[in-house]
Amino acid sequence: MVLETGRVVQASDIGELGTLLAIRAPDIASRARPGQFAHVRPGTGWDPLLRRPYSFCRIDRDGGEIELIVKALGSGGEWIATRRPGDALDLLGPLGTSFVVQRDTRNLLLVAGGTGIAPMRVLAEQEGDRRSVTLLMGGRTIRHLWPSDRLPAAVEYVTTTEDGSFGTRGRVTDVLAELMPWADQIIACGPWPMLAALSRLREDLRRGPATRVGRNALLDAQIAVEQHMGCAMGVCRACVIVTERGNERVCREGPVFGLGDVRFERGEPATVGLDR
Amino acid sequence: MPWRRPRKRVERGGLVRSSPEERIEEAAEDDEASDAVELAALEGASLDEVALGEPTGTAESSLALPLAQALKGVDLPSETTATPKARRARAPRPEIAARPTSRYPIGSLAIDDVDLRVRIGSLELRNPVMPASGCFGWGLDYAELFDPALLGAIVTKGTTPKKRPGNPQYRIAETPSGILNSIGLENPGAEGVARSYAKQWRDIGAPVIVNVAGYSIEDYVFVVRTLADVPGVAAFELNISCPNVDGGMLFGTDPLLAAQVTEAVKAETDLPVIVKLTPNAPDVVAVAMAIESAGADALTCINTMLGMRIDVRRRRPILGTRSGGLSGPAVRPIAVHLTYQVAQRVSIPIIGAGGVTSTEDALEFLMAGASAVQIGTATFADPLAPVRCLEGLAAHVRDARLASIREVIGVALPPKPSSEPDTEYRAE
Repeated sequence: MVLETGRVVQASDIGELGTLLAIRAPDIASRARPGQFAHVRPGTGWDPLLRRPYSFCRIDRDGGEIELIVKALGSGGEWIATRRPGDALDLLGPLGTSFVVQRDTRNLLLVAGGTGIAPMRVLAEQEGDRRSVTLLMGGRTIRHLWPSDRLPAAVEYVTTTEDGSFGTRGRVTDVLAELMPWADQIIACGPWPMLAALSRLREDLRRGPATRVGRNALLDAQIAVEQHMGCAMGVCRACVIVTERGNERVCREGPVFGLGDVRFERGEPATVGLDR
Repeated sequence: MPWRRPRKRVERGGLVRSSPEERIEEAAEDDEASDAVELAALEGASLDEVALGEPTGTAESSLALPLAQALKGVDLPSETTATPKARRARAPRPEIAARPTSRYPIGSLAIDDVDLRVRIGSLELRNPVMPASGCFGWGLDYAELFDPALLGAIVTKGTTPKKRPGNPQYRIAETPSGILNSIGLENPGAEGVARSYAKQWRDIGAPVIVNVAGYSIEDYVFVVRTLADVPGVAAFELNISCPNVDGGMLFGTDPLLAAQVTEAVKAETDLPVIVKLTPNAPDVVAVAMAIESAGADALTCINTMLGMRIDVRRRRPILGTRSGGLSGPAVRPIAVHLTYQVAQRVSIPIIGAGGVTSTEDALEFLMAGASAVQIGTATFADPLAPVRCLEGLAAHVRDARLASIREVIGVALPPKPSSEPDTEYRAE
């Protein structure tokens, strides 16, 4: 992990997902892995104060560039989202854990909801040539989907929108069952309700017959999660969630967790702070 | 750090390190086992390299480089940064005999020419800059960026007798020039802390000030008793003012209770006892005076202020506990003011805390009567804020041609009222 002043090389509008910033940051690009994030300072002063965490959406080691999807949420997010080519960005990263694609995985299923596409795109680009990859991508409308011209050709896509404006009407979890028998490994990133739905599917499957094809892929699925974050260095313990091992920090033990390790309650991350 | 299913650590290869604490511990173990040749190989290696045993690309000894250069990529435009390989080639190779400080990206600063020493009770600090409790973990997390030994002291996260899971989410919210937090003293308990960190504290290179929190006098005494003999522990800071746990602030708002807890802890240990004041007390100066009378060696001024933010869309407070502690530049004028007030009424040293981001902020506290400063919230925005502040204080001593930083302590305080009548004749 390093502190690096990145230089914005391109800023593109990607609809409701926000702004895609391409940033020249060779030190971070050379270390970053899919699932990890950069903690970006919103300005040079102290208001807004907190850095914002963004999962890498592209890692170009050779070109020394990274890409981040930035939503103009709050004054900090807005400041970062309005950076333009040539502007400097104070980056801390790469931080956190990363996804591990098993060596013997032939069929890799990536599941992305909303801005959860970010790390899935990195995996799609990295793994598309090595194995068979399907990206299952969901959004509220077509405007919430990642633009298809920014996806590698070697990867197959299945899309869902809640309003039916593109692909299958519904959510990613509605079509997951069809793809599961195919998948050797599943990796997912998206909003908490999506992850909770995945967790419920996993729980049903775990209780069901052990012979079900694709069962292990969901049982061993890896997910990346979000949480309100402070330092991202592991000291403040603002970003903890509850896992099978107790409280764990999204910035250190995460953001990548085993789907079966994260505890959910009513579609949300389980309440921390209770004696268990 | 790639993700692994944590319980099945079968193929625990060189790449799996779950925390910087582990990395440092393992690096230290490697260190002990290695001979001079290996030490030499570690020179100029980043922490990752030491831990992972492979070059990560930033290998660079900052021993002979000024901070601005050591922070390559932070202060300098990216065009001027050389490729990692070229930088490594340029970096001077230090003597084998030297301690491998270059384990850290920033291992030294050019501040040794000035006298920055200050005294907190019987504890002499190399310099007056330390982290604020809760913003530096148990001392090792920021080692990936700079050597914690550069700081005057290390202040740990609040430690309670028993393990605490902390508060429900959300635990943090942004405010104008500040943050609200309600972590709820999540910590592994005094014995857990001793187990996890004692080994690293011994070699951390800076005195460790353990922040102690509790609900009763016995709680404070227990933590102090558990950790007093741990090597590296140099003092205790009593958090009698945590706004985020029930009853946590009680001791800090009542002069009598504050004095009782101070007295009990003083009776337990010979190490200096620092007591952290809360701005939420009706009369902060009265509490400070009571604590001094009870034998405290120093005061930290101040802890966070109670505050709240409402999520207007959901129509409820953002924080899981509804209210939390406000910190950051937003509280600085209040903290400077209270430091100034308390400094006029007590004679024990004060550690200023509250929104310090820069050298100038630190000087404000020192001039208001503080002997040292803590930097907390600022590190969330700029992890190098303590290091920059330190460099700036050294520059101030140099530029103002001071004999030491101690010359600025309390210079802004009003002149002490003289007991003798002013009879001096003054011509117009």
